[in-house]
Order: sequence, then C-alpha cells, then structure tokens
Amino acid sequence: MPVVRRLLLTLALVLLPVAGLPADGPVIHRGLGPSPDTLDIHRAQGLSAFNLLRDLHEGLLTRDPHGRPVPGMASAWSVSEDGRTWRFELDPAARWSDGAPIVAADFVRGVARAREPGTASPTVGWLAPIERVEAPDPATVVFELAHPVPWFEELLTLPVAFPYPPAGRAVSSGAFRLVEQVPGSVFRLERNPYFRAVDSVAPAAVTWHVTEEPSAELARFRAGELHATETVPPGRIDWLREQLGEALRISPYLGSFYLVYNLRQPKFAAPELRQALSLAIDRSLLTERVLGAGELPATRLVPPGLDGWPDETRDRDYRSDVERARALLRRAGHPGGRGLDVELRFNSSLAHRRMAVAVAAMWKQQLGVRTRLVNEEWKVFVTNRRHGRITEIVRGGWIADWADPANFLDNFHSASPLNYAFLSDAELDRLLDAARALRGPARLETLLAAEDRLLDRHAIIPLYYYVSRHLVDPRLSGWEDNVMDIHLSRWLDLED
Amino acid sequence: MLNYSLKRLASAVPTLLILITVAFFLIRIAPGGPFDSEKALPPEIEANLEAKYQLDDPLVVQYVRYLGDILMFDFGPSFHYRDWTVNELIAQGAPVSFTLGAIALVLAMLFGTTIGVWAALKQNTVADYATMSIAMIGISVPNFVMAPLLVLAFAIGLGWLPAGGWDGSVSRMVLPSIALALPMIAYIARITRGSMIEVLHSDFIRTARAKGLPEREVLVRHALKPALLPVISYLGPAAAAILTGSVVIERIFTIPGIGSHFVQGALNRDYTLVMGVVIFYGVLIIVLNYLVDLVYAWLDPRIRYDN
Repeated sequence: MPVVRRLLLTLALVLLPVAGLPADGPVIHRGLGPSPDTLDIHRAQGLSAFNLLRDLHEGLLTRDPHGRPVPGMASAWSVSEDGRTWRFELDPAARWSDGAPIVAADFVRGVARAREPGTASPTVGWLAPIERVEAPDPATVVFELAHPVPWFEELLTLPVAFPYPPAGRAVSSGAFRLVEQVPGSVFRLERNPYFRAVDSVAPAAVTWHVTEEPSAELARFRAGELHATETVPPGRIDWLREQLGEALRISPYLGSFYLVYNLRQPKFAAPELRQALSLAIDRSLLTERVLGAGELPATRLVPPGLDGWPDETRDRDYRSDVERARALLRRAGHPGGRGLDVELRFNSSLAHRRMAVAVAAMWKQQLGVRTRLVNEEWKVFVTNRRHGRITEIVRGGWIADWADPANFLDNFHSASPLNYAFLSDAELDRLLDAARALRGPARLETLLAAEDRLLDRHAIIPLYYYVSRHLVDPRLSGWEDNVMDIHLSRWLDLED
Repeated sequence: MLNYSLKRLASAVPTLLILITVAFFLIRIAPGGPFDSEKALPPEIEANLEAKYQLDDPLVVQYVRYLGDILMFDFGPSFHYRDWTVNELIAQGAPVSFTLGAIALVLAMLFGTTIGVWAALKQNTVADYATMSIAMIGISVPNFVMAPLLVLAFAIGLGWLPAGGWDGSVSRMVLPSIALALPMIAYIARITRGSMIEVLHSDFIRTARAKGLPEREVLVRHALKPALLPVISYLGPAAAAILTGSVVIERIFTIPGIGSHFVQGALNRDYTLVMGVVIFYGVLIIVLNYLVDLVYAWLDPRIRYDN
C-alpha cells in the first residue's frame, strides 16, 4: 500500500509540470527554431541562442513587448555632450539567480571576458567602439566610447554586453532561469524568483522546443503543443490564413533581401548591364505571386520602420521597366541579351529557389539573358560567397542587429568582410566614415546619401524587405508584432 | 562455434578502421567549415577558434591524434554544440534512439511474422492477396510520407497523440515507432509468407502431418523455426533500416536521438559529432550483424561447419 501511494505521488509530481498546472502562472511552450550553438553569452551568435539568452539574462537595457529598448538593470543613465561618455545607475533590486546582488564590476568583467582571445567571441566586434568601461562604485557603470554610437542603447540589449558572474557561479540575471536542457530537444526555464521585476512576470515557466523543421513545428502548433512558433513554412500562407486565421501573424521585419553582383567578374564591369538586370525584375509580381507571404517589394537597401528614415515603400511602382532595361543592355554591348549568360547562386531553401526561378524567367523573357541557377548547401554557399572566386550573382540579405541604417550600409564599405560585392568606392567609403562622427539629422542625411551612392553604383539588386512570420495562440497575450521580431517571454501571459 | 565467432569478430576491426578513415577525410573535404556563417568572423577570432579546436594542425596530424583519442573513447568537443562533448551528446541521444528502434523492431517482428504466417496459411485466397497488396504499399511508401500522414490523422485530426517531441512518455513514442516499423512490418510479412509456404510444402511437414499430429502442433513445433530463418537474416539489414529510418523520423517528430544529431552535425560541419555518430553507427551495425550471424549459425548447423 505505501509503495502504491508513493508511486502515485511520484507519478503526480512527474506529470504536474508537464500538464502545466503550477498554481502561480501558466507554462508557455514556444518554438525555438534550430538548436542553439551555446548558451554562453559571449560565444553565442544564432537567433535561437539569442532568444533563449534574452529570457535567461538581462543587460543594462532590455526590450519592451514592441521591441523598443527600455531600462533593464539600469534604472537611469546620462550621456555626455559629445556622445562619448555614458553613465548608468544600476537598479538596486538587480540580483543574480542565486540572490546575490549584481554590481557594476559584473559588467566590466563581461566586457573583459568578451575581449579575451581565449573566449573567441564571434560578436565581440559589436563592442569595438567601447574604449573603456569602468565601475567607479558598485552601482555605477561608465562607458567611454571612441566615437558617438547612436545605437549604443540597443547594443546594451545584446547578450555580448550582459553582466558576467564571478568565476565558478553558474547563475543568470534574467526573468527566467534554466532548469533543464536536452540538446536538440527542449530548454525548460522557470521564473527566477530573484529577478528584479519578478512581480511583473506572469509565466511560471517557459519551455522552448527545438524545431529544426518548420513543417514539424506547424504540426505541433496545430496539435496544440506550442503557443507560439518560431516561423511558418514558406509557400502556404493562403492555406494557413484559411486554416488558422488570427493565429497567423505576419509583420514587417527589419531585414532586406537582395542579389549581389561580384564586381570582380569582368562581365559585370558595365554599370548599364547591372542596372538593366535590376530594371527587368517585376518586384510586385515577385512578392505577390511568387513569395506571397506579405514581403514588401524593394528598390532600396534600408527597410522602412527606422526612426527618421524615409519610407520609400508607399506610392511606388515596383513593376519592371523593360524598355529602359533593353536600351541599357544594348548600350552595354548585349543587344537582345546576345553574348550574355549569368549565374545566380543561392542557398538551399524553398523560398530562395522560387525567387531564383522567377528572376531567371524575367531575365530570359524580358532581356533574352540566360541564367544558370546554382543551388548550394548553406556552408558551401557562405564559403563561396565570401571568397568570391567563382561567384557571379549571389543571394544576399541582411537582418538588422540593431535598428540603424548604418548596420545595413556599412556592409558595403570597402573594408567590410561582409562586402560580397567586392565593391570599392571611395565616395561611399567617405560618406560612411563621415557618418560615424555625426549625430542626429546630419548623420541620417549622410547615410541616405551613402545609400543613394550604393544604389547608383548598381552593386546590388534590392528585391524585397523581409517579414516576420509566426503562429501565435490567440490566448497568448503580450505578443506584439515588432520590426525587431523580439518577443521576451516575460511579457507573455496565457488566458484561460 | 567459438572459432567461428572469433574469426567473425577479428574481421570487424579493419572494417571499422576503413570506415573511420574514409569518414574522417570525406567530411574534411566538404567545402565550408564549422565556423562559417552568414556573418563572417574576424580572422583573428577564426584563428583563435581553430587553435582551440586544434584545426590548425596538418590534416594527417589531426587524423593520428583523433585515432589516439578514440582509443581512449574520447570523441572530443562538439564544434556546434559548444557546451557539450560528443560523448555527452551520444550518451544523451543513444537511449532515445535505442528505445525508438527497439520498439519499432519488436512491433515489426510481432506483426510482420503474424501477418506473414496467416497469409501463408490462406495462400492464394482473397485474404492473402489483400494482405500482400497492403504490404507492398507499406514497402513502397517512404516513411517521410507516412509519418506526416500519421501526424495529420492522429495528432492534428483526432488529437489522440502528440505531434512530436520526446519526454520518455509512451504517448510520444507511439507515432514515431509505428512510422518506423510500418515498412519493416510489410517487408517481414512478405518474407515470412514466402518461406512459410516453402516450408509447408516440404517433406518433413508432410511426414509430421502423416504421423497424425494436429495442424497447430505441426505449425508451431515444426514449421515456424525453419520458416523464420530468412527473417532472422533480415534482422541485420533491418537494424540498418531502423538507423537510417530514424534519421528521417527523428527530424519529423523532433526527437533528440542520434539520427537528428547525424543530419544536423553534417549540415553544421560539426566534424567531431559526425565522426562520433559514424563510429557509433558503424560499431552498432557490425555488432548487430555479428549477433545475427551467431543466431543464424545456431539455427542452421551447416553454416558453422562450413566455416
């Protein structure tokens, strides 16, 4: 009898958390996407790792439900006249998950560890503008920057700028703490009772499920096992809207999709040719008929949605200008596309394949240009694109690290390792360098001029701006669509 | 028998060494490395990482060092899952894959042989043709088609079972193990039927019947054992089928087994993880084939004497 009773009790204890019944709040199940590389704040770099780390840790600033930077561990801060000295006052309630207070030295330690060569942090470059970080007293952190950094507040919401605990203590600083992790499967988090704002955190626990396959994630959402998915399989948007209605959330995302010319290839020497290929693409057709997930057609690089940046998506014509394209191609020495064949290289993905086939068809029909499509597995693709030895036109794209136009434009500086166009333009470099020393409207104007310059050089063919795609259970509150696509679990709640 | 089993065991070592060597150099030849990503790493960081994981030595040096490490059962740190070693990942994934595989194998044996024997007894009747046609469909439909259909019907449509994930509970094992077992059930049913029909027409069964033994006794005591011989020899390939099948099934059902590590490891260029899984699979298949050979030799004396 006691044995039976003990067994039943154990069974009840085991089943309880699975059933999601803790009295003090719901358990939220979220899709994570691919398995994260690491939970080390300095070594992580994937989106899924970042999503987990934002639940487990917190920086001086954090993100509100709308993705905007708001006070995190810093209760107040000030910035010097020249924009180079930032002074943060720590929230006295800030605690590690073992109850010990978080002090300014923890932030200094974090930056130091990120910069140690042995850490091999892939994101340490983001901290480059920081010349010095100091802790004049336990409640004050002071940063000295090499130049004004307009996105500094956003930078502090990134894992690489989080506080780091003294050696030997496996603690976290965020709204949740890690209970269990099974690589390739789940990460179970529970509410951190020492979190400085624990009273505002509704979920008792969050379980992040690794979902390598979007279609498997969709199945689990439809079976009621997930409250929110990381993404939605491509190409089924109409069907999903019909099936799942308001659960389907599509919203603008600070990301840009474009094709990149490898300017080292002699065949792309003529700017007329590069412009002609761009003009021949009907972007409206591409986004509406081929991709059809709400993507916004684009003819520029920087997406709309940034403070002070002009929104160029309204009242524009995104259809092709075939007559002009043909005339330009003729001038480039290829009348009717004669003597010209190009190669379009992209990484394996259904959406990319559709895009590539459509673009190739438009080039063939409108200009008579033949296109070889080359589909490569991810690692092969990024290697070839980086070396630029055999590539001609490659799929490019950029998702903002922080909401700032320079984050997109700096990739085309001649010194950038991400300059896959191998563009070297003195005027563009000059504008980008100049913008670094400026602030406010003058900076934005300079960056806008830089974008104009980049587009005038026809080094890229902008195609569309990304959208974020999720399935969100209508009972889940606190999920606000936002351009950064950041949704901290601490803002979520589940209604009965 | 002992002599035979030792001989078979000795031949496993060179097989394994060839497997390790080919796999080691093949994965290194594949373009792209473990640290390549959308945002290129600064060269000094890449150098640090390569030094940390000893990728900066000549390939042959790395190979020799790797052979030394695996002799000590040390498969090294995973390049992608930076917080884990390959040993830890395999230790975590193996029980999951084993459970799934074992359930599937038991299901396949149980249902496969039963259906096969039944069809053999009803030879050339409508029931026989119907069963074998269904079995043929079972063999032809790949499990990456069958699995989503099962999910659609039983998880999304009826809501009886979960659509994926793994927590050790029986409900989460049902759909993946059925999806894994179905093609094998069909295959085993066909094998059993064929060999059962052959056995039932042989002289010693006729003798048993002539002696007046009841039909049940004839089947269970005399016919079943020889009829199962081809099924036993299929178990080696079946184990391999389970392994390759589980690679697909584990991804569809998001099960954290060895199979999903294998696929993801290859895509991530996680050299150590891929090698660890290849060796693990290699040893497993060699051992299983060895066991099957032993069982076979035990069932059929001609084999052990011939060798």
